[in-house]
Amino acid sequence: MQELQRSLSSFGPEVVLTVGLLLVVLADAGLRTWRNQAVRALSVLTLAGALWAVVDLAGQVAPGPIFSGMLAIDPLGLFFKFVLVLASFILVLAFTFQNSRELAGLGQGEFHALLLALTLGCLLMTGSNDIVMLYLSLETVSITSYVMVAYLKGDRLSNEAALKYLLFGAVSTGAMLYGLSLLFGLTGATGLPEIRAALAGGYDDAGRLTLYLITLLLVAGFGFKIAAVPFHFWCPDAYQGAPTPVTALLSVVPKAAGFGLLLRFFFGGMTTSLAGTWDLTGSIEWPAVLMLVSVATMTWGNVAAITQVDMKRLLAYSSIAHAGYMLMGVVALSANGARGVMVYLLVYLFMNLGAFLVVTLIHQREGTFDLRDYPGMVKRQPVLTLAMSIFLLSLMGIPPLTGFMGKFYVFAAVIEKGPHLWWFAAVGAVNAAIAAWYYARVMRVMVIDESDEPREAWSLAPVDAAWLGALVAANVLPLLFWDRIEAFARGSLTLWAGL
Amino acid sequence: MIGLQHYLIVSAALFALGLLGVLTRRNAVNVLMGLELILNSANLNLVAFTRYGSGNFGGQVFAVFVIVVAAAEVAVALALVLTMYRLRRTPNLDAAASLRG
Repeated sequence: MQELQRSLSSFGPEVVLTVGLLLVVLADAGLRTWRNQAVRALSVLTLAGALWAVVDLAGQVAPGPIFSGMLAIDPLGLFFKFVLVLASFILVLAFTFQNSRELAGLGQGEFHALLLALTLGCLLMTGSNDIVMLYLSLETVSITSYVMVAYLKGDRLSNEAALKYLLFGAVSTGAMLYGLSLLFGLTGATGLPEIRAALAGGYDDAGRLTLYLITLLLVAGFGFKIAAVPFHFWCPDAYQGAPTPVTALLSVVPKAAGFGLLLRFFFGGMTTSLAGTWDLTGSIEWPAVLMLVSVATMTWGNVAAITQVDMKRLLAYSSIAHAGYMLMGVVALSANGARGVMVYLLVYLFMNLGAFLVVTLIHQREGTFDLRDYPGMVKRQPVLTLAMSIFLLSLMGIPPLTGFMGKFYVFAAVIEKGPHLWWFAAVGAVNAAIAAWYYARVMRVMVIDESDEPREAWSLAPVDAAWLGALVAANVLPLLFWDRIEAFARGSLTLWAGL
Repeated sequence: MIGLQHYLIVSAALFALGLLGVLTRRNAVNVLMGLELILNSANLNLVAFTRYGSGNFGGQVFAVFVIVVAAAEVAVALALVLTMYRLRRTPNLDAAASLRG
């Protein structure tokens, strides 16, 4: 009983989300009038409450296991929870059903219920301290995202995207489950600390071989979640077919949760050295596997993005490439690398949501996602073009914007590991150059190219303009108080992994 | 005498067959059957490992959860396949090829 009370006291954000989720479902089923307004208000309130609960917990919680070791609570998890809830919160506020041509007029109840369930699943993912919990939370997130992608029921593309996403996701997570079952067989435990202790006890050659296999199978599951090559095939299709607000959500929230899980699983469960959390001497060669995945991910993502003309598809490939950069921070195997991943996710949230907001607004007014319809945008809508340019420059990693800081931390973490990893940083740098090329292409089309046919200028709704302004500010202003953000990230580096 | 390795061999075979089914079948329902084989191969592993090793029931509990998740997943999958059939008049996955590039 005491254990339960103690666990619940550090489980605030998840409790708020669960209650909010139930209320949304009830309101959607019970109300006759003002239904859509009520569920949206409930959803916003829930996420605000969850955000408050995360911030409230951040200062006072002692790292440790909760709910008999199913979940772990620690500053690292709380940092990810902050990023996840913040992203969902901004998404619900900035992407309304009014400013999306695809969602306009549809019922909002399911959307908000699914969004809250997805956020809850993501929070549990970043806290998983047991492979049962890990699998359950991962599937919660996956299944809710399949349904969200299929939100446009009568739309062929939405249905096709969801079907492809589901089949790909089910096979990836199925392979991962097979790996987890072997891991259970090898170590005889489901808790990450016990697994870690069992692995630290040593294993023979057969065990080593099994561990390689397990690592490969698990990377399938994690890779699917963060959209890393070669488990990214669902990503462009799902992003293109899904309603744009869902695409924006998928490109940020499950990816961040995937990285939270990745850090927790590999550093909390697969290390053999019990001394230093980030030091992995003597463990199996999973860093090599991840390094390979990282290089392939950023290269493939960037090269494939060059030829895209559908904006959602282009941003999908760009988000694949960003997952590759973030993996650099994981592979660096140091506290600085982990901090790089965290900072990267925090800044990536604002630039990616911003870019998708611009794409949504253009689609609302001009009915197109095609880059070939973007020429002359600067004349029709200069404010929007300016905002998009800032988001794209931030995605590129140009210095006065926060996107640069994200790249700076992961590259620095790789370089400081010594000359044997400099080639890795060089690959990243070449990739950043390729990425700059296609981001610049979008800007050129919007600013320099002339439209073939005359199109009317249009104005932004005040609310949308305000959110664009806020997201632009979030890409610029954090540099003014960067020391505090860095202190937040550095203070969040504690990963609870003991027994 | 049937030992742990027999179970492991069966489960590995199930996993391979499931993967083969998913990769080669064109009918969406058949693909979902392949998926079930993959999930159940892992279940077999979990139960066998619990019976012949570990000494705790973590694996069996895990298997029960997997069954629940598999049911949820298939429910969503069948709903999507039904919608696809309504939109395209075919359960054949090759027909769903509008998104490319």
